[in-house]
Amino acid sequence: MRRALAVLSCIALLATAAQAAEDLIKVGHTVSLTGGASMWGQSEKNALELLIGKINESGGVLGKKIVLISYDNRNDPVESVNVARRLINDGVVAVIGPAQSGNAIATAPILERAKIPMIVTTATNPYVTIDKDTGKVRPFAFRPCFIDPFQGTVAAQFAYTDLGAKKAAILYDVGSDYGQWLAKYFEEAFTAKGGEVVAKEAFRSEELDYRAQLGKIKGLSPDVLFLPTTQKEAAMAARQARDLGITATFLGTDNWGSPDLIDLGGSAIDGGYFVNLTDLSDPDIQDFVAEYRAVYGKDPVLPNPVMAGDAIYMLVDAIKRAGSTDGTALAKALEETRDLPVVSGKITVNPEDHNPLNKPAVIQKVDTKARAFVFVKKYEPGD
Amino acid sequence: MFLQTLFTGLSVGGIYALMAVGYSLIFSILNFSNFAHGSVIMLGAYMGLGLASKFGLKLGFVVAGAMAGGGLLAVLNERLAYRKLRHRNAPSLYLMISAMGCSVFLENMVYVTIGSRFYAFPEFFTRRVVTFLGSSVSVMDLFALAFSLLAIGALGLFLARSRTGIAIRAGVCDMTMCSLMGVDTDRLVALVFLLAGALGGLAGTFMGVRYLVYPTMGWITNKAYIAAVIGGLGSLLGAIVGGVILGVVETFISAYVSSILRDVFSFTILIALLVCMPNGLFGKSMEERV
Repeated sequence: MRRALAVLSCIALLATAAQAAEDLIKVGHTVSLTGGASMWGQSEKNALELLIGKINESGGVLGKKIVLISYDNRNDPVESVNVARRLINDGVVAVIGPAQSGNAIATAPILERAKIPMIVTTATNPYVTIDKDTGKVRPFAFRPCFIDPFQGTVAAQFAYTDLGAKKAAILYDVGSDYGQWLAKYFEEAFTAKGGEVVAKEAFRSEELDYRAQLGKIKGLSPDVLFLPTTQKEAAMAARQARDLGITATFLGTDNWGSPDLIDLGGSAIDGGYFVNLTDLSDPDIQDFVAEYRAVYGKDPVLPNPVMAGDAIYMLVDAIKRAGSTDGTALAKALEETRDLPVVSGKITVNPEDHNPLNKPAVIQKVDTKARAFVFVKKYEPGD
Repeated sequence: MFLQTLFTGLSVGGIYALMAVGYSLIFSILNFSNFAHGSVIMLGAYMGLGLASKFGLKLGFVVAGAMAGGGLLAVLNERLAYRKLRHRNAPSLYLMISAMGCSVFLENMVYVTIGSRFYAFPEFFTRRVVTFLGSSVSVMDLFALAFSLLAIGALGLFLARSRTGIAIRAGVCDMTMCSLMGVDTDRLVALVFLLAGALGGLAGTFMGVRYLVYPTMGWITNKAYIAAVIGGLGSLLGAIVGGVILGVVETFISAYVSSILRDVFSFTILIALLVCMPNGLFGKSMEERV
């Protein structure tokens, strides 16, 4: 009798658990919680938990509460694939992340086969949402961030119009997709404006010494030196360039946006400008920043938390409009996102490439004395 | 541009030379390639970094500290990983394999304890450059080059003039005979490792100041090793000449041909040279080299 009771109570418990699970919408989150990118990953997770808490308090979505399942992808493509498989097994309705293009490109086909939509946070490579082999849009991949070509264009525009540069030089990593794309788009946009790209020099990923390339660049006396590289390479290039007596203004891209840049670059990187996704002093995100500070007692590590916030609002809106959590219906609803208010402003998804339309970019200036990135201006596409 | 490229090449070559001397010194006496030297250089850089950023020491003390640390580390390395093998008269191939093991071990120890983050030295001199006929060199690079030449020169003088130096050179000629004559070879070998390690610590600090400090920075010693082979393993003069040649050739290829093809050329030179002159530019002919 006793045993039967125990069994019965177990069944009852399981049944309530199952019922509870049905009242939940599981959202997967693939994120770098350890390793070099963990600073942004942790902050991204904090932001999602904060915003999901708010959504649940105000009644959830379709009468259900959202639950976030975050797994560490260690900023590694192989581990990202494993995380994607785990999330599929867990029965998530959609996945937020990864933040890095390489990981996102590895994850996309796995989720596509499972018909689960993904919204990456800061992966800016064009091939995150476009299949490189077929050239067609990936039906289940979306993003709230701008893409590399746009960044290259903004950098070129800023150099030509705001800095008054007529001659530009480029130094990039030939082994990185990111660097190659940006070098290409910067060159095109700068030339189209009427400027001249006097040198386009490359190095290989693990090299330390760029003095030979920089010596060549020095002879051509450019006004700006565009460095679409990681913060570490930009720091080394800046130091070596100043050692050779190059006086050009340094110009970079969103990869620069790490405090490391100031530690590694020292006084050489001071006064450099770079394109970023968002800035702490951007008027549009002040409410979010204040809430984040109130809960976690520190500033969010931008831009990931803001982009992840945009992603969760896109998803919630899509679930509401689709009226279900079916993957295909969600993907269709995401594709039809129009003028949706999100953390960073308003977002409209371009159905042709699943990138946001009219996503603004900000320009920041490196101030090594204040150890800060100072907001310079905000660019709307078409400016 | 020609002069600027030449300056750049010389300063890169100077770093190669400083590292290559460490390889050659140990090769000359023990007849094996001590691949752990790269890790000694890397740890020398970390020691210098610690002294400079944690204790805020001046450049002179940082260099002295890193040299002492690098020297002790190399002696310890020899004591733990090579001495037993030497006493058993193991073939030098085994010593080299042990050295490779040490190198991987030390690199991973740094990953586990300090982590994979990149660090930069504080700026010792405000970023100043010296301009000469339109070419610029930073004060720090000039200082590093001068100090390296000084250190190598002092080593050469020590080997040529001092009593201990003569003992080392005798050991280079014939180790067995040396021990028969009453020289304590263990002490002799320890001394050679101390010298090589001290130069390694120096090279590491200068490399860290010039570039950045991180666990795999020792990979650049592959280039230094090539420099030592070009000059003839075991020859100090050869290591210096080999380092400078490699640095200058690489820089000219990067500047005038293509920076992407740089390594293709450096390794082509290595192979071509070994085919024509198997003992390098200044090497003595020997039966076995590993």
